[in-house]
Amino acid sequence: MAKRITIDPITRIEGHLRIDVEVDNNAVSNAWASCTMWRGIEKILQGRDPRDAWLFTQRFCGVCTTVHAMASVRAVEDALKIDVPANAQYIRNLILIAHALHDHIVHFYHLSALDWVDVLQIPKADPAAASKLAESLSPWTRNSRNELKTAQDRVKAVASSGQLGIFANGYWGHPAMRLSPEVSLLAFSHYVQALEYQRKALQVVGLLGSKTPHIQNLTVGGVANAIDLDSPAALGMNQLEQIRSLLAEVSRFVQEVYFVDVCAVAAMYPEWFRIGSGVRNYLAVPDLPLDSAGSAYDLPGGYIRSGDLQGVKAFKSPSDPIFRQSVTEDVIHAYYKSDKALHPWEGETEPDFTGWNGDQKYTWVKAPRFNGEPMQVGPLAQVLIGYAQGHPLTRKYASLALEKVSAIGGVQATPDMLHSTLGRHAARAIRACMLAELAQKHWQLLVDNISKGDYAVHNQPVLPSHEVQGVGTHEAPRGTLSHWVVIKDEKIKNYQAVVPSTWNASPRDRAGSHGPYEASLLHTPLARPEEPLEVLRTVHSFDPCMACACHAFDPSGRKIGVVKVL
Amino acid sequence: MKTVLIAGVGNVLLGDDAIGPYVIRLLESQYSFAEEVEVCDLGTPSLDLTHRIIGLRTLILVDAVASDDPPGTIVLCRKEDIIREGPGQRVDPHSPALAECLLAAEMLGAAPEDVLLVGVVGGSYEAGKPLSEPVRQSAELAIKAILAELSAIGLESTKQKSAIEPSTWWVDSPRTREMPLPSSRQ
Repeated sequence: MAKRITIDPITRIEGHLRIDVEVDNNAVSNAWASCTMWRGIEKILQGRDPRDAWLFTQRFCGVCTTVHAMASVRAVEDALKIDVPANAQYIRNLILIAHALHDHIVHFYHLSALDWVDVLQIPKADPAAASKLAESLSPWTRNSRNELKTAQDRVKAVASSGQLGIFANGYWGHPAMRLSPEVSLLAFSHYVQALEYQRKALQVVGLLGSKTPHIQNLTVGGVANAIDLDSPAALGMNQLEQIRSLLAEVSRFVQEVYFVDVCAVAAMYPEWFRIGSGVRNYLAVPDLPLDSAGSAYDLPGGYIRSGDLQGVKAFKSPSDPIFRQSVTEDVIHAYYKSDKALHPWEGETEPDFTGWNGDQKYTWVKAPRFNGEPMQVGPLAQVLIGYAQGHPLTRKYASLALEKVSAIGGVQATPDMLHSTLGRHAARAIRACMLAELAQKHWQLLVDNISKGDYAVHNQPVLPSHEVQGVGTHEAPRGTLSHWVVIKDEKIKNYQAVVPSTWNASPRDRAGSHGPYEASLLHTPLARPEEPLEVLRTVHSFDPCMACACHAFDPSGRKIGVVKVL
Repeated sequence: MKTVLIAGVGNVLLGDDAIGPYVIRLLESQYSFAEEVEVCDLGTPSLDLTHRIIGLRTLILVDAVASDDPPGTIVLCRKEDIIREGPGQRVDPHSPALAECLLAAEMLGAAPEDVLLVGVVGGSYEAGKPLSEPVRQSAELAIKAILAELSAIGLESTKQKSAIEPSTWWVDSPRTREMPLPSSRQ
């Protein structure tokens, strides 16, 4: 008989995601993804000035501040039909790239790596052998025996004090853990270095955005950065040079460390290229506009149905009518009132909490659908859609990744294997390499444009009195983010944010189709059902983020059960 | 070099969770601090707290806390209290990461020597609502605790004569800005 396991919550960093799986013969036979906390933040935007919306939306979530700010100004600009000066596009693009690089590095090293790396193996490693292995994989200069020995000593010290503290919530010694001590040590040493490089990426966000975590330089119609090449107080050569050098350092880390580590881990767990696929419909929107009007983009968008790469459809821009018209949200299994799937401009957010019931309502997440179908979003969607369209930059790094995995693992890695748990990690590393390369390009575009004597950063928005609607998108680290706004009498009449984790963590819809998290877990084999590491691996590969909610530290220090076997 | 960080943590959109950022607004608008002190509203930083605290001498956090005590009660915690139980998985946006980030910094040998969490027991976390009255009133007490901690490590802070009302744009809207528009050379 099937038994049900509840994991509550599943994210290492952001709470509120609960996963229920039914296990039969040591494999997942059914799954439910649910968010345990109501957001409803969109409602507080109604009646406010649309030019202020971004200040509020960037407080939705503490991890994704920048992306919500950006999608919001873009939504209002779309509604008001105003262009953004080229400088503003490039400055925004650089912020988005730096934020995404930070986010991808954190995701892999600080959120997911511990699903694959057994910390208890590290003390057994031979630092010299690990260093030799590293040098065969990458030109990175910080893989010396000494550097690795220092990292190992840190783990030994922590382990011998009996306080594995930071790692206390991992499944150590689990039979599904299989990396050699040397690879584990390398990964750990890079975990430590990653802290340094993700911080450099955030420094770029801070330099351009004037503050982090909450950037201050946005405004509907452009950015608020004063450009003056000779002034140290404004965005001038001093700051630009600092930004260039930080981006170069982060890019090297991404290409020589993060990308290589993902390929190495992937090569050692090849069966995970066959697990965790689930929904093979993919969606991404174009991003990184190249001109003021947004007529060309550096990152492609479109959609794929049922894993059919040949049948890929492209979006020319985020205002492609097919994208704008095809999104709905269904709440039949979510704690909201409404009896039909609604387009976000008509969207409602009326709570109707009934408690968890897997056959009826069981989550606060709505079910976004594209032409009525669930879609997987995120780096895998971004990479597959680019790859299918023959996008050169996507092809370049996707091919590099497949070659590297093949070489390390002695297997023949093919694009088809990307529909999987490891495919998501590989795609995130591929995307990060693409962004690292584009960082240099957009920096140069900005500098060249300023050098031509163009200092414009802002177009004045004019609010019409009649009703207008707009959508602002950003292809964020976790996937397609869209903010939908309706403006009337210079005030926000309706506002809906369809966020990446809503697409991926969505519940079943009225047709009974699972959301991507749920579908990806079906048939997953579990070595020890009471320690469902395999479930965590797949869910973490989506980089779940259910933040968008508050909560308070509980100083009583009560331990609350992590896994319940029902 | 900033070696002391006073950080407000919390989501300003969610009722009493705004107490951390609100206290920061009060400190910024009404006090001046020694040069090594940074005062910052960090929102809900989660794991991004780690790189903010590495290498600090003293970390003072102001945050809403969950407790059976009545709303507005001030609860003080030290580093040992916070990390004693290790990071749980059953915790939320920024809270889980508090213990986790401190432990990560410890492991790197770069954790702040002194950590004080000035917790304010929250009452309501409803979206779009202002601070509840008992929580808003507790801000003064929270500030006292912060100033006492600074004083204990030998740092003086002074109340400005022309103290201004803090900007709490998330409740004061419509139409407030944290920053003026640019004056680029056109």
